[in-house]
Amino acid sequence: MFFAGIAWLTVLLGVSVVSVGRARTTAERLVALDTAVLMLIGLLGLVAAQSRRTYALDAALVLALLSFVSTVAASRYLGDRRPFTEPEEGDPR
Amino acid sequence: MSAWFADVLIVAGLAVMTLGVYGILRFPDVYTRLHASSKASSLGVSLLLVAGTVGARPSAAARVVLIVVLLALTTPVAAHAIAQAAYHRREPMRSAGAVDESGHCPGATSPSPRHGDPGA
Repeated sequence: MFFAGIAWLTVLLGVSVVSVGRARTTAERLVALDTAVLMLIGLLGLVAAQSRRTYALDAALVLALLSFVSTVAASRYLGDRRPFTEPEEGDPR
Repeated sequence: MSAWFADVLIVAGLAVMTLGVYGILRFPDVYTRLHASSKASSLGVSLLLVAGTVGARPSAAARVVLIVVLLALTTPVAAHAIAQAAYHRREPMRSAGAVDESGHCPGATSPSPRHGDPGA
């Protein structure tokens, strides 16, 4: 069952990587990339469960953290043209 | 018994993730694709990871709990950041019946001003 799951999840990963290339705008590309990384995290979890080793789970944890930081930084750059802004004097944000 | 439970979790997780990828392919704009990406895919990943903990050592289960909690905390924030960036860039709303109350994004209808609305 783990093997069937790994195979099907690999197909889904390929489809989401193709949808990264087919996205029309940058935000859609970011969404597709986020999904592809989620697929990769699930794949690492299945590999760890199948082989009874935990180091793949460590890689999945690092990938989840890295995906969050990169998605937030890229979307802040996309919206404000810089990743992290200092609030100006009198800026309500 | 426990292997049976893990198989059920794997099938459910794969079905949910398939729906998420199908939504990424089929939905027309960023705002609707974020629903499929953030909610469906993170739920599917969590189900798959929990399926791996059935009959596993406690060290693996602790890592899985950490990843699931982390995903539950970070995925909504990331999705909100993408939506905010798309809205600032005035990405068009292509889905049928989209309503944008600010009249800011092309493609969406802005609702008629309500009676007694100040400034209308």
